[in-house]
Amino acid sequence: MTKHFAPFVCLFASAIASGADIAVEGGAASFVVSTSVPAISVKGKTTAMHAHARVQQNADGLQLEQIEASIPVKSILTGMSIRDEHMRRYIFTTADGKTPDLRFEAAAAACSTSICQVTGTLAIRGVGRPFSIPLKLRGDGATFHVAGDSTVRLSDYGIEQPSQFGVKTSNDIQLHLEFTAKEAPAAIASGGRK
Amino acid sequence: MRRTVLVLLALAAPANALPTMIRLGYVNCAACHVAPQGGGLLNAYGRSIDEAQSLRAGEYQPTTNAVIRALSWGGRITEDLRFVGQEQVSTSTNAPVLGLFRGRFMYRNATELGRSLRVSATLVGENESAARPALVYEPAVRPTQVYVTSALVSWRARSGAGSNLEFSAGRDQLPSGVNLPDLAIYVRSRNRLGYYDAPTQIKMFWWGKRYHVNPYFFGPAGNERSGFHETGGGTLAEFDVLGHGRTVAGVNALHGTSAKLDRTMVGPYARLGFGKWGVFAEHDITTRTPNQAGGSSTFRQDASYAQVFWAAREWLVAGVAGERLTVQSPYRESLVAGGFQLTSRLSPQFTLAISTRIQHNQLNGRTSPAFTLQLAMKTPQ
Repeated sequence: MTKHFAPFVCLFASAIASGADIAVEGGAASFVVSTSVPAISVKGKTTAMHAHARVQQNADGLQLEQIEASIPVKSILTGMSIRDEHMRRYIFTTADGKTPDLRFEAAAAACSTSICQVTGTLAIRGVGRPFSIPLKLRGDGATFHVAGDSTVRLSDYGIEQPSQFGVKTSNDIQLHLEFTAKEAPAAIASGGRK
Repeated sequence: MRRTVLVLLALAAPANALPTMIRLGYVNCAACHVAPQGGGLLNAYGRSIDEAQSLRAGEYQPTTNAVIRALSWGGRITEDLRFVGQEQVSTSTNAPVLGLFRGRFMYRNATELGRSLRVSATLVGENESAARPALVYEPAVRPTQVYVTSALVSWRARSGAGSNLEFSAGRDQLPSGVNLPDLAIYVRSRNRLGYYDAPTQIKMFWWGKRYHVNPYFFGPAGNERSGFHETGGGTLAEFDVLGHGRTVAGVNALHGTSAKLDRTMVGPYARLGFGKWGVFAEHDITTRTPNQAGGSSTFRQDASYAQVFWAAREWLVAGVAGERLTVQSPYRESLVAGGFQLTSRLSPQFTLAISTRIQHNQLNGRTSPAFTLQLAMKTPQ
């Protein structure tokens, strides 16, 4: 167990041992996608990611369960309003004109030392596909600082690569997550969900 | 005095290039401009960005008008007419307040001849010239009321958005570091990068996701003063340091020689973008050696520029800039300048800008403020 991870576990060992809910409010998620033009890459960011999970300490380390995360599509911004419109229209809008939130769900994830390999289902346009991301955890008092990188392929979701006057985005979207997870208030009051 | 003040304070910013786009990850000009050096006509993608970054913020729609399509040779000719009007009020310590209106018309044309070959030119006419400072050791070129700032034949290795190698030959401004359109800033006006400096040249542009390399060789334009017909070469090279498209660092180095003066310039620079704001910085070190018998020995010039800009809106960008210029003996100078500018892109056709600039001469104590209001208009391409 790393020196960063240890303090968190010590502080919340009693709560975690019996299972505690942790929550993320306003987590940051960003993406970068390259294009067919060498000088252009598109970046986007949101700070409106919400997530919660149940965390337990066992003999093998931490165990995350019932992981759920969501990002409202409208919160993702690229710095150019027209480009945001194009992104929503071409990437996130369903055939019937709806823009459902991005949703991620995973039943469980095992953590070794300070890395959790989280594998679950990421839904874009309401269509779920397998998605995996390694999350690095760093404990800091009563909170976890979490960061991770992964890739989403548009073709996995049947989404065409957007193109604007000859500038076509890549099929691979590089994702970066960075957020702080705290013990959920309800869990603190009750000493953890039983 | 009137001429000196006007020359020193001329804010001849054509406002036709947007290096501020580094804030959104546009690492160089090739993405949006027909010419990879930047400035001038926009390609189709650039026109869509131009529209998106205006107050109108609409969708760019290429014309479907049959007549215009025919006039543009089926899209192979890109052209526009541009007008930049500047009202400038300036003064200096113990000097009267002067007002000046400068109007400048431009016709810009780029014609594709086949898949890879392009010819392009910019013809300019104006009512008042804005030559760079006439220095004892390096006089300004002769301005004329009608002149060609750019006439190039260019060959691109392959057509399409993904192309990244181009050769150009003809006359044009030499490549410059931060590549701001304001030609009055020291890093440009004191390094032969004024409005009438369009040397004959051959240059190469090679760029990728994280790099841009631009070697060039140049000869006289023909409008230089006697003895200052300069020949030389140089290279501009830049690199996206962190690889996120927002941290470009580079250097522009050149050596030129003429009958009366040799000069060597090394200019490191940086363009940094952070979403809504960014930073430009450049420091050019120029050494000059007079070639006349009995002339003075080598002397050095340092020109520095830094600007912090902030995009309050996509169409509204404010900037605060500071500059410094020092020249060693026997042509000793020590100038500092600072200014504020606000540029509003009302539509792709109309850009309104106000700017102030205060220059202080640390040797004679003279302070010279100026205020400029500028309206740039252009026809749709």
